[in-house]
Amino acid sequence: MRRRNWYLMLILALMAIPFAGKAQEKLTALEIMRKVYNRPTGKEMEATLTMTLINANGDKRVRVIKQFIKDFGNVEKKIMFFVSPADVRNTSFMNWSYDDPNKDDDQWIYLPALKKVKRISSDSKGDYFMGSDFTYDDLGDRKPEEDNHKILREETLEGEPCYVIESIPKDEDYMYSRTVTWVVKGKWYGLKRDFYDEDGEYLKTLKINKVENIKGYWIITQTEMHNVQKNHTTRMTLTDVKIDSGIKNSMFTERMMRRGLR
Amino acid sequence: METLINRLLKYPKLVLMVTLVITIAFFVVMRKNSRMETNLDKYMPQNHPAFVYSDQAEKWFDIKDGIIIAIQNPDGIYNSRTLQKVKDLTKKLQKMPEIEKKDVTSLYTADNIIGTEDGLDVRAFYKRVPKSPEKLQALREKVRSNEMVFGRLVSTDETVTVIIARIGDDVFSQEFYHRILDLAKQFEGPEKIYVAGRPIVEGTLAYLGPRDMRRMVPIVIFVIIVVLYLVLRNWKSTFFTLLVVLFSTIWAFGLMAALKIPIYSVSTMIPVMLIAIGVAYGVHLYNHLYLHLREHPETDRREAVRDMIHQMWKPVMMAAVTTAIGFISLLTSQVYPIKYFGLFTAFGVMVAFVLSVLLIPAGALAFGLPRPKRKKTEDEEATLTGTEDTFAYRFADRIVRHRGLTVFISLVVVGLSLYGMTKVWINSSFLDKFGKNSDIVRTDRFINEHFGGTSTLNVILEGKAPDTFKQPDVLRELVKMQDDVVESLPVVGNAFSLGDYLKRMNKVMHADSEKYDCIPNSSDLIAQYLLLYEMSGDPDNLWHVVTEDYKKANVTFQLKSDNSKALKSAIAVVEKYRPDFEKMGVQLNYAGSGYKALVFTDLILEGQISSLLLSLVIVIVLLSIMFKKVTIGLIGSVPIVITTLISFGVMGLLGIPLSTTTALISSIAIGIGIDYAVHFIERYRVYAGRTHDKLRTSHLTMHHSGRAILFNAVVVIAGFLVLLFSVFPPNRSLGALVSLNMFTSFVGTVTIMFAILYTSNIYFRRRDLAKTEGKESA
Repeated sequence: MRRRNWYLMLILALMAIPFAGKAQEKLTALEIMRKVYNRPTGKEMEATLTMTLINANGDKRVRVIKQFIKDFGNVEKKIMFFVSPADVRNTSFMNWSYDDPNKDDDQWIYLPALKKVKRISSDSKGDYFMGSDFTYDDLGDRKPEEDNHKILREETLEGEPCYVIESIPKDEDYMYSRTVTWVVKGKWYGLKRDFYDEDGEYLKTLKINKVENIKGYWIITQTEMHNVQKNHTTRMTLTDVKIDSGIKNSMFTERMMRRGLR
Repeated sequence: METLINRLLKYPKLVLMVTLVITIAFFVVMRKNSRMETNLDKYMPQNHPAFVYSDQAEKWFDIKDGIIIAIQNPDGIYNSRTLQKVKDLTKKLQKMPEIEKKDVTSLYTADNIIGTEDGLDVRAFYKRVPKSPEKLQALREKVRSNEMVFGRLVSTDETVTVIIARIGDDVFSQEFYHRILDLAKQFEGPEKIYVAGRPIVEGTLAYLGPRDMRRMVPIVIFVIIVVLYLVLRNWKSTFFTLLVVLFSTIWAFGLMAALKIPIYSVSTMIPVMLIAIGVAYGVHLYNHLYLHLREHPETDRREAVRDMIHQMWKPVMMAAVTTAIGFISLLTSQVYPIKYFGLFTAFGVMVAFVLSVLLIPAGALAFGLPRPKRKKTEDEEATLTGTEDTFAYRFADRIVRHRGLTVFISLVVVGLSLYGMTKVWINSSFLDKFGKNSDIVRTDRFINEHFGGTSTLNVILEGKAPDTFKQPDVLRELVKMQDDVVESLPVVGNAFSLGDYLKRMNKVMHADSEKYDCIPNSSDLIAQYLLLYEMSGDPDNLWHVVTEDYKKANVTFQLKSDNSKALKSAIAVVEKYRPDFEKMGVQLNYAGSGYKALVFTDLILEGQISSLLLSLVIVIVLLSIMFKKVTIGLIGSVPIVITTLISFGVMGLLGIPLSTTTALISSIAIGIGIDYAVHFIERYRVYAGRTHDKLRTSHLTMHHSGRAILFNAVVVIAGFLVLLFSVFPPNRSLGALVSLNMFTSFVGTVTIMFAILYTSNIYFRRRDLAKTEGKESA
């Protein structure tokens, strides 16, 4: 568990936002991706995340996680507690992600059976989030400036007019050779994204299943990532979403990691 | 039948033309549809429970055979050039369309999870190739402290590192094999590159097999031509005899191609069989023809040919039918390539018979009778006139006089053979098929010296409920078994299981303290470690050792040998833990290609025994019917029984293991050996009817048939000895064993079978016997 942002809720910059401009002026691909990236989703969020992992045989594993996120300006802090399965209950993770690009994230884990908080350091950006089909980058950590963007075409997907944008990483060694995103015009969230692996082969597809308006923010509450090469699917569902509900700063401490859910 | 043959022979040129056209048709089909089957999994019966289970387990845990590429630098691998090669080669392998990216493991792809004072550090060993001495040293330290990598991906003397590319069963091809070898070669120098692993061994086998055949066939044909010419002393006869063999081979392969049955490696033995058998028919027919011409120098073609057909079609047919039945008995084998081998060799034998009785006479009719160059002929002319002191006569006399001794010696030999048979062992090894100093064996030995082993055995443990493999007691038992196998058997170099991950995590979470290099006590902690690993390492690695519901686990043992003894020794140790596992509700099974090969070879042995017994019964019944006497059926089976016993006995005594190729020998012995009995008994019967004198009959039979059999044996043995030039040791033992079988069949026929036949007084009335007894005592 490395890497930053648990932006489940901001999912992937694919995030929504309602009142996007009526801007009729011609936008560049980069401008569109910035609009997607910078959509406001509130300062704080509290939610229950249900992660369902479905393997090639159709076997399902379900994990329920309670998570808290707060933006402190130059640092974003999140803490998450496992609710189930029972044998990992109260296992917790904390992540501090800094705006300063030269500063690595700080990460901690707490295993209740070991009764110890441990720091974790890691170097891989392309790591998969908790054994799912999402990488941390997929969850919204990747900045628009890291890729070159191009508008391929405009088309309607699921009744929504979309820009189809191709993004090619500037770093040739990145785990994807390109991604293609369908961005809803005016709402500025991605409806769908196709990923191509290092060798240019089709790898996986992200789809938004459900978007809810909570406190005036468009929050994506259900997404699904299907890895075609492994035939493996991860479904993430957010419930009990509370925006700006007043999470205490003391929530993001080792003490809270140890205390666990009450 | 005889009438039919004669009617057909009214149009000899037409017969030749039609045969030629059919042959060309088969040849065209063969060229168009023939396909070599190199996927060894296709050789195994797909619905056998052991294979079904193994295939399932291979899916659960994504078990695949690995190609192992070793990079050796005697000065140590920790320099930027060698590490660059590891990186480049890893990337090149990952880009190959046959290989999935995640299936390539090397120091470059491996994750290093290290415990530090206050936490956990998860990093690749290197991404950019380290250049400075400090960084290289740091890498060395990282590797040394990680027991999941040290000794597995990097040798403990730090001069060799391996890249493992796992590949599916279905992607291997000749072309891919050569591409891998070419790729490896590009990275050669000054580092040495070695390529090994089961897919490579199988690939080399599939590559060398046909190459070996291409090399063997011309030699076989040359030897046959020479021996045939020496025997027949005429080019025309040699030509037609060979034509029969060639055509029957083309028909057999043509039919295989027409039925869309691929060529398996054992199928390449079909031509060798047909050459050995088909030639004998020609030899018999021409022998008779020559004899007839010598006795009646003035006969015209038509009459000579008619006599040959009349006298010979029946014994040749009897020989062909029994031989074919011998091969058809292989249908009882559960192994498809062996079934096909039996079936198509039988077909080829029947074709060789039909073509012999059609082409050889048709050839004589169309192109004139063959007139052999005369050698010293007094010998032959004495045949029926009855000069008493030929070698054959004296030999027959001796056997008759020392019947008791003959029986005694036979019994001693049988006893020795039975003892030898208890020592026969089965070997499913692919590597043992190569010479001890072949490249592939040396590479394998090299990698085995530096790493755990190139062969694998998978032990699959299956619990009743999910999360079985989060229980400390179950996991401890697993680790205990794993350690026991590795420590008690030098041939097992390494093992890998869920236990290794947990021990590693436990140690790492306790600041790398050796004290915690064990399975934790609490199942919750185990679950939490596993969760942590899933989040920090590559979870896909975990699914190679346990299923996602933690109900089934896979323990992989690395062996330094793929031979059956090694596998069985590991299985024997594992089996000790079966009762303990069962008490915990955990079932134990095996999987993997090595295990499948082991089961497969056992099946071959089973198949051999059943096909042997079956063919023995069939042959006895057939002989009883042909000679209208059950006693003859029993006497006729004597050479086969003796031959088979000696064959297996010698294999046991010389330590030649039973394998796919050597296992075929027993039916070959039955098929060809029976010919001898048929010819000998047939002659004995004819002369008995003619002379009513037992001793005289013995003399004539021994002189005539005994010599013909010797002749036959010499031709067949000469043919099979060619196999001694094969590059495959098993093919060499095959050649030697078949030659041995032919020799013992021959000796068994003219000694012990003859002695029994003589003693049985069959074909003689009491009146005749009284006469003989007078002579015998004289």
